[in-house]
Amino acid sequence: MTAPAGIPVPIGAIEKELGRLWEASGEGKTRASLINLAIYSQERDSLARNSEVIRGIAGEHAMRALLIEANPSAPQSNAEAWITMNCYVRGNKGGEVCSEQISFRLEGEAARALQSVVFSHLDSDLPLVLWWQSDFPPPTDGRLWRWVDRLIFDSRQWEDPRGQFGIISGISSITESRIVLCDLNWARSLPVRQSLAGIFDTPCILPQLSSIRTLHLDHAPGHRTTALLLVGWLADRLDWVLKEAGTAFLFRDSSGKTLKVTFGEAEGASISRMILESEHCRFQILREPGSDVYVTTAEGGEIAPASRMVRARREETSETLLAELSRGGRHPLYLRAIGIAQSMIDPVP
Amino acid sequence: MSFPTPNPLREGIANRLAPEPCTLVIFGATGDLTHRKLIPALYNLAAEGSLPPAVTIIGFARREKTTEEFRAELKASTVRFSRTPVNDGLWESFAGSIFYHRSAFDEAEGYDSLAREMREHDLRRGTGGNRLYYLAVAPDQFPVILGQLNRSGLGAKTGEAWSRVIVEKPFGTDFKTSHALNELVSDVFPERDTFRIDHFLGKETAQNIMVMRFANSIFESLWNSNHISHVQITAAEPLGVEGRAGYYDKSGAMRDMVQNHLLQLLTLTAMEPPTSLGADAIRDEKVKVLRSIRPLRGDDVFRHVVRAQYGPGLIDGKPVVGYRDEQGVAKDSTTETYVALQVNIDNWRWAGVPFFIRTAKRMPKGGTEIAVTFKSVPQVLFNQSGQILDENVLVIRIQPDEGVSLRMSAKMPGSALRIEPVKMDFHYGTSFGKATPEAYERLLLDAMSGDATLFARRDEVEEAWRFVDGIEEAWKTRNDDLTFHDAGSWGPVAAAELAGRHGVTWRRM
Repeated sequence: MTAPAGIPVPIGAIEKELGRLWEASGEGKTRASLINLAIYSQERDSLARNSEVIRGIAGEHAMRALLIEANPSAPQSNAEAWITMNCYVRGNKGGEVCSEQISFRLEGEAARALQSVVFSHLDSDLPLVLWWQSDFPPPTDGRLWRWVDRLIFDSRQWEDPRGQFGIISGISSITESRIVLCDLNWARSLPVRQSLAGIFDTPCILPQLSSIRTLHLDHAPGHRTTALLLVGWLADRLDWVLKEAGTAFLFRDSSGKTLKVTFGEAEGASISRMILESEHCRFQILREPGSDVYVTTAEGGEIAPASRMVRARREETSETLLAELSRGGRHPLYLRAIGIAQSMIDPVP
Repeated sequence: MSFPTPNPLREGIANRLAPEPCTLVIFGATGDLTHRKLIPALYNLAAEGSLPPAVTIIGFARREKTTEEFRAELKASTVRFSRTPVNDGLWESFAGSIFYHRSAFDEAEGYDSLAREMREHDLRRGTGGNRLYYLAVAPDQFPVILGQLNRSGLGAKTGEAWSRVIVEKPFGTDFKTSHALNELVSDVFPERDTFRIDHFLGKETAQNIMVMRFANSIFESLWNSNHISHVQITAAEPLGVEGRAGYYDKSGAMRDMVQNHLLQLLTLTAMEPPTSLGADAIRDEKVKVLRSIRPLRGDDVFRHVVRAQYGPGLIDGKPVVGYRDEQGVAKDSTTETYVALQVNIDNWRWAGVPFFIRTAKRMPKGGTEIAVTFKSVPQVLFNQSGQILDENVLVIRIQPDEGVSLRMSAKMPGSALRIEPVKMDFHYGTSFGKATPEAYERLLLDAMSGDATLFARRDEVEEAWRFVDGIEEAWKTRNDDLTFHDAGSWGPVAAAELAGRHGVTWRRM
């Protein structure tokens, strides 16, 4: 097992040892923190991987990072901790801004006691953002989630998306919607949603939205849920109702007409192509493999052919996470989108 | 031509009004503002997908050039001034929406052909008949451009489409010229379609003043004459006139900075909570502050206002010439490069609280800030130790190093009771590493969305001029109050005396 970054410290002496670390770090360093970011994983050696993620984002979003590698099924209870600082030079004066990182390896009973072992080391009064990298357990106990201000997860990694979407809806109800749900898979599709919305900002193109007949999406292998969420979003926005699920999906639009949704797999970006066809027009969003832009085109019927490029984000997890942290706010349409995505996973009887 | 239905795909994507497709006509398209600020801002908006694809930019200027030449020039300046690196593909995509229209500002045919060109774009690019005219020209060109827009009917809205104008400061040189300019603009564009840009208001920290005041209960309950002893608003810069002598010598610090930027900061600091975040609700409250400022006239001006000019001195250890020796400045110029004034706001909230405003060129360092000084605690508990306690000071730094700090008193560790001031300090740059968008990006989007919150309204501008005119009028009667200070110093002794009469010392920045 790889040793995590930092100095090993007894759990009970974390705050004291952090103080010492600051004293020893010398002059000219500023401590900064906007949030507590706790990352929970049950993967072996996740501490090293998540330390890398933190190093990639703490420079732009100051935080106290709490990394947790948990093995709740271990027979013996055990808890270990390490501390370190991530420092970055800011501005042209050369001053360093530093964020603290505490890493925990928890086993057995200790791994089931996050509130006592981990959350007692939060920077008080700052929001708690919890990034849950494992499958969610059934929501038998809501106490854990009530601690959390923002819950981050990535539905792309789930083996049972239908079941997990159900648990997510449950967590939202348990916390009376106080918790902000952030699916990185949803965040990843933001540039595509933005580009698509951009096409229909043009008033003479806007009416075409009500006569979409086909929708095709190319997604990267393993990004089926990204595509499903996108369709869920569109269906919610345009009042489409799922009629039939199979290789292709049939929806009924608000005028009662049928439209067909298909998916394809292609290497490249999570969503590399999206084609919508109305009775007379065709709209496309395309990201070529290796490209850092989306090209949107609109053509056909009486509309003037239009094409434009929009900057695409890199899809590394740290980049998506950083964009999500910087954006803030709630995702009002997400729960509605997952409702439809769920029904597409589970065929309509 | 325009479809009022909102785009259902926009909901939940951005927490702001969506900008609408339009044709943006920039008058003065070959000028500095267009190259340094407007086009780089529009490029970044387009690259991020924030600009509707139909938005069409027409550069209107006198010089002979083709659209291709114009695009190439704009690309070169965008590469230089954009806050993000320019991507060739994105630039080409964006540049396809830029066109050049050659015409003199007074050439009627130029406007008629502009109208034809815009109609073509409406059909071809889907701009929906919406027009946004940006007057990026000197104010003496406004009458002819506005007159031609009026004559050609380009200023008029048609059907559901809108027609708006963005006017750059200075909004006149006094109340009379400002009023005349506003009349001229209002002949063509109603007030709701007139967007007066003061880029200070587009800065994140200026916007944050309202958030800080009205989203934090601890501040607002103390934000009045019961708890605040005085407020200092400072805008200092180490630069001299830097090639702007022609403009600056006619303007001076009072017109260049106080009438607009500093009075805007004053209104944001002193305003009552608005009834909503709507543009007019906020601007109504700002205007009330301006109307409550006690006018300064006649001898009052010389008691409450100090003006000065910088002489030769040292900036960053290097010698610099005095103002009168700057290129383009008359040897006997009486234009003020330093101004300090004490303002009283005659309303219930601020009765008896002096606001000190100062702005100057050739200061030892640059910076803009608002410092709110709270009243001292009663000297009863700690007076036996003979210590004088520093007041609490809340400082909102507008630029550079944007942030907020609060000075408090704390006990020094040790057996003796020794109290020292300590500072709680929040720096935007420390906590948020990401570069914030340029003020022009925000303001251009707002104008395209019809959100006038961050733009100055006519009555704001005119009330500010009314106040400044009183001072300028008094200054015309005599010059013997004009003092001098060394470049690189913090200003004349008279300014220290002005503050000192209220027991106040100007802050060291």
